[in-house]
Amino acid sequence: MKILLAGEGGQGAQSIAEILARTANTPDRFTTYIPNFGVEQRGGVSLAFLQISDQPIGYPKFEKADIIIAMGNRAIEPVKKFMSDQTFFIYDSSFIADDLVKTLQGQVKKYLALPAKEQARQIGSTKVANIIFLGALSYELQELPVEQIKKAMEGQFAAHPEFKDTNNQAFDLGLKYAKERPNQEFTGSKPKEIQKLFEDENKAWERFPEYCKGCSLCIISCLQKALTFGQDLNFLGTNLPQVDLNKCLACGNCQKICPDGAIKVTKKN
Amino acid sequence: MENLPKCWNKKALPHKFCPGCGQSLALKILGYAIDELGIQNRAVYATDIGCSLLSWNMFDVDTIQTHHGRATPTMVGLKLAKSEAIAIAFMGDGGGYAIGAQHLINACLRDDKITIILINNTNYAMTGGQMAPTTLLAEKTTTSPTGKKIEFGRPLLGPEMLKTIAADGAYLARCASNDFDTTLKYIKKALQNQLDGRGFSFVEVLSMCPVNWKKDAQESLDFIKEMEKVFPLGEIKIPEGLK
Repeated sequence: MKILLAGEGGQGAQSIAEILARTANTPDRFTTYIPNFGVEQRGGVSLAFLQISDQPIGYPKFEKADIIIAMGNRAIEPVKKFMSDQTFFIYDSSFIADDLVKTLQGQVKKYLALPAKEQARQIGSTKVANIIFLGALSYELQELPVEQIKKAMEGQFAAHPEFKDTNNQAFDLGLKYAKERPNQEFTGSKPKEIQKLFEDENKAWERFPEYCKGCSLCIISCLQKALTFGQDLNFLGTNLPQVDLNKCLACGNCQKICPDGAIKVTKKN
Repeated sequence: MENLPKCWNKKALPHKFCPGCGQSLALKILGYAIDELGIQNRAVYATDIGCSLLSWNMFDVDTIQTHHGRATPTMVGLKLAKSEAIAIAFMGDGGGYAIGAQHLINACLRDDKITIILINNTNYAMTGGQMAPTTLLAEKTTTSPTGKKIEFGRPLLGPEMLKTIAADGAYLARCASNDFDTTLKYIKKALQNQLDGRGFSFVEVLSMCPVNWKKDAQESLDFIKEMEKVFPLGEIKIPEGLK
């Protein structure tokens, strides 16, 4: 079984690959895992190559994958060359539009649209979206017992015992999702349109989810405390700031401090 | 004001810096300075090795990426060959104060007419936050896990060091990247000093590194305040005639 996981750096593609590799690494199996990412500590696409086999494995990378997981929009392009007509493609439908996935028709065997980020937010933290993917993946990897994966997961996040319950919940959610909607083709839904422009008669406050990295510098530099994290997500899958126009004075502090140019404030006459 | 500088390369966005990085903030301000002075067609931008190289395609200006610490001599050579170019060398504290210190000192001594912008985040950020010449005493890094001891030297004060050898036309300043207006003012002055052909210009920008400091945004800004106690802000040397 050749599995390729792709996501933005920081989303946790490497963590779940490591969990699976640890689980699968038993005396009767051969397992390899190798991460592949660029110079970016965060904010680039990171790939994880995972192989589980009964036979010795010659090389940790591979040309075509049996399962591909894409956790973000930018993850699609780098995984395209690993697709074959035998590939099972799992993607995060809370980011990736169906239109984009439709263009892959014929290149992969089947799809699973998993709205992991949305689901993760509902149980309390968008950080556990990767665990939802792990849950869905564990359904495909029937040879690995769920208890052992959970045990490895606990070991992986031993430094954060406070996430244990959320992680378990997320895992079960992903597993349930994969069971109930086996290999479904499209959800027919589109990711939610994100409101970009907030304006009234005096000012306009615009945000750019395609640039925002959710660093929260704008929120703490707002003297009026007009900014808060909202429910909408940026391209990295962290929360986007939103403005309370009644408090905002259009001073432009948030625009000045934003390292990514993701906020634009305009005063009207 | 637009949300992005005009001279930024929009195709390379979102840029590759970490969330909350002060270096990208300094680069945004440098972009506005280039826009306001209208020197996009004349500017040549050199990045060093380190996090600064993540900006290799950030600007729509001629860009060169050099060896570690060699952004300064590359720009000195360019300025000698092509005096109408506006040479901007961008580097981190490792590239400027450690491996490239000889070039920085000699460029200042010769009063080369280039602009150097140096990011001080008290560590080697790209390789995982090792101890740098600017690391504060008692600050924990991956190579000083119990806090930096005095045996490794006090934090290096770059502009103050250069002031002792700088020629009359040199401009030396230090600012913090979270202070947009001051940083823009200083960087514009540093570029103007070169435009006027007056002399060497150097701006040190204190910058947040939330990932390697292992701090969130608020704690990073608090740490910048701590840094300001050691690295005093302000214009350390202003040449006569520069407004």
